[in-house]
Amino acid sequence: MIELKTIEKTYGSGDTATPVLKGISFRIQAGEYVALMGASGTGKSTLMNIVGCLDKPTGGQYQLDGADAGTLDDNALSHLRNQKIGFVFQQFHLLERTTALKNVMLPLIYSEPYPEDAEQRAEKALTAVGLNDRMYYRPGELSGGQQQRVAIARALITNPQIILADEPTGNLDSKSGLEILAIFKRLHRDGHTIIIVTHNEEVAEHADRVIVLKDGKIEQDRRVAQPRDAEKEVDERIGREDAE
Amino acid sequence: MRLLRIITEGVRSLRINKLRTFFMMAGTIVGIAALTVIMAIGKGTEKKVMKRLQNFGPRAIMLIAGGGKDLPPPDITVTTLTLADAEAIRNQIDGLEIVTPMAWDFNVNVTRGANLHQATVWGVEPTWHEAWNWHVADGEGISDQDVATMAKVCVIGETVRRELFGESDPIGERLYINKVALTVKGVLESRGASPMGMDFDSRVIIPITTAMRRVMNVNHIGAIRLISKDVSLIPRQAEAVRSLIHQRHHITPPEEDDFRLITPMVIAQLVKGIASTLSFLLIALAALSLFVGGVVMMNILLISVAERTKEIGLRRAVGATRGDVFAQFLTESLAVTIFGTILGSLLGLGVSVLLPKIIQMPTIITWEPFALAVAFALLVGTFFGVQPARRAARLHPVEALQ
Ligand SMILES: Nc1ncnc2c1ncn2[C@@H]1O[C@H](COP(=O)(O)OP(=O)(O)O)[C@@H](O)[C@H]1O
Ligand SMILES: [Mg+2]
Repeated sequence: MIELKTIEKTYGSGDTATPVLKGISFRIQAGEYVALMGASGTGKSTLMNIVGCLDKPTGGQYQLDGADAGTLDDNALSHLRNQKIGFVFQQFHLLERTTALKNVMLPLIYSEPYPEDAEQRAEKALTAVGLNDRMYYRPGELSGGQQQRVAIARALITNPQIILADEPTGNLDSKSGLEILAIFKRLHRDGHTIIIVTHNEEVAEHADRVIVLKDGKIEQDRRVAQPRDAEKEVDERIGREDAE
Repeated sequence: MRLLRIITEGVRSLRINKLRTFFMMAGTIVGIAALTVIMAIGKGTEKKVMKRLQNFGPRAIMLIAGGGKDLPPPDITVTTLTLADAEAIRNQIDGLEIVTPMAWDFNVNVTRGANLHQATVWGVEPTWHEAWNWHVADGEGISDQDVATMAKVCVIGETVRRELFGESDPIGERLYINKVALTVKGVLESRGASPMGMDFDSRVIIPITTAMRRVMNVNHIGAIRLISKDVSLIPRQAEAVRSLIHQRHHITPPEEDDFRLITPMVIAQLVKGIASTLSFLLIALAALSLFVGGVVMMNILLISVAERTKEIGLRRAVGATRGDVFAQFLTESLAVTIFGTILGSLLGLGVSVLLPKIIQMPTIITWEPFALAVAFALLVGTFFGVQPARRAARLHPVEALQ
């Protein structure tokens, strides 16, 4: 469903032109759990933004569900992001002074038709990430892990097929990070396509497939034989803490 | 509806940042309040002018004995105006319907038995009734016969009737002015009090000949009232009268006049006086505050767009189109100006209600200023809101999120 053919991205032009992506091709099937790896500055976020239709490549072709993203105008791409893609960012990007519930409902503002049960859906999404008792908290009143879970609930509210997460655990301690990964694991099990950008080997071990970027090209594209199960690890950890 | 949801978002961000919203709104509030007050003063003054002109007579020219600039009280010590002047005007000035001379005296004791009342006494010709459009409510007015025979008759105002006769019928009864017995032949229609509090009905009208020879014993008159055939003739006629009297009284212009000419234009000018000055200041204030307020609002919005680039980027990421972002930010400026207009109109209404009480400035409250204010608000909101909204809409989502 996601198909990239020799995608290129060059920032600037003329003497200052900086090629970042130099011909990236891969295909991701619906329901895959992919980790996108590489050193800092190798273009992971750039690639992620192209896959998420937030940015356009300067070369190559990108097909999403059989449609050529390059031929779509800004309005069509906006609609597509709203319906098919849920973003999760390293910095959470929640609206300040706005309740978790309102934050989660944000994408619905731009959904057509607007669901009658918008608020119930938001409550359900927050419950699904374990925040049923924090619906009316504002970002400032929540921990980093909780804020990221609000962001995930927001990404899920329009029930998109694809979840794109750019360093989602980058700002979190290992325990909160693991909890976030457990949520992704469950979403994967529920059939969502998950693409997670990370430069952390341990995080990548949770995915089924790892694509490694280097110097603007794919250095490696491999299956993970035994993906780690974050859900199980969280349970074990809780067990250990209870025992102590 | 999508647009409604986006408008709600714009309004919500105004509610969250109340102080910022207030600063954006301040100029609109002051500007619209000033605009509202200007209109109220304008309407109030216009009505006052109309009323004063109605009292004065829209086609009237008053030639009053005694110099000076402002309106009466007349100077009764000046003795230079005469019946011959009236006759000369009648013969030499064209386009006049009525020329009626008047002799007058103020605060004259009018008695009937033990009853005494101080009134203004007017010696008039029969045309006086027509010239002031002031007729008798009861009995008869002054006639040619009365003037010709120096008849000892009078027509009294409503206050005089009440004070001297109470409930009894005054017609045919006698009263005394300066020991002269006068028979009441009529009662004037009641005109009430002037805006300055002068009682129009406290007067006695007698034949001008009776007044000059029997009651006041004078050879001069107090004023001449002229009624023009057409309002448009008045300025020219007033000037013609002025030079005629100059000539007759041997006055050469740098020399001060011994009379005053009052026309409807003079009255209007006089009434408008401070109102025009105040309106001019308020127009300047309104224009300045709407403009400065608009610029301030635009700059706050531009800063706000800069501060909220991440929010804009996020909205774009979750599906907002450029149009949605544009609409949201334009909503902010429009909502600010519309709400500011409501507050400004209320403030202006408050001031308009208080003005007549504080500085006797007449005001009239109508709906027009509000309609005008809303139009201004939409104009200012759009003019100063488009630029920030466009800047917000043009942000690249990826760069905005960084
Ligand atoms: N808007 C931009 N203009 C110019 N260069 C950019 C821009 N965005 C990213 N880059 C450059 O592209 C390279 C890849 O950036 P990025 O995709 O963010 O890398 P990663 O996410 O792997 O750390 C970096 O060298 C960065 O400086
Ligand atoms: Mg990155």
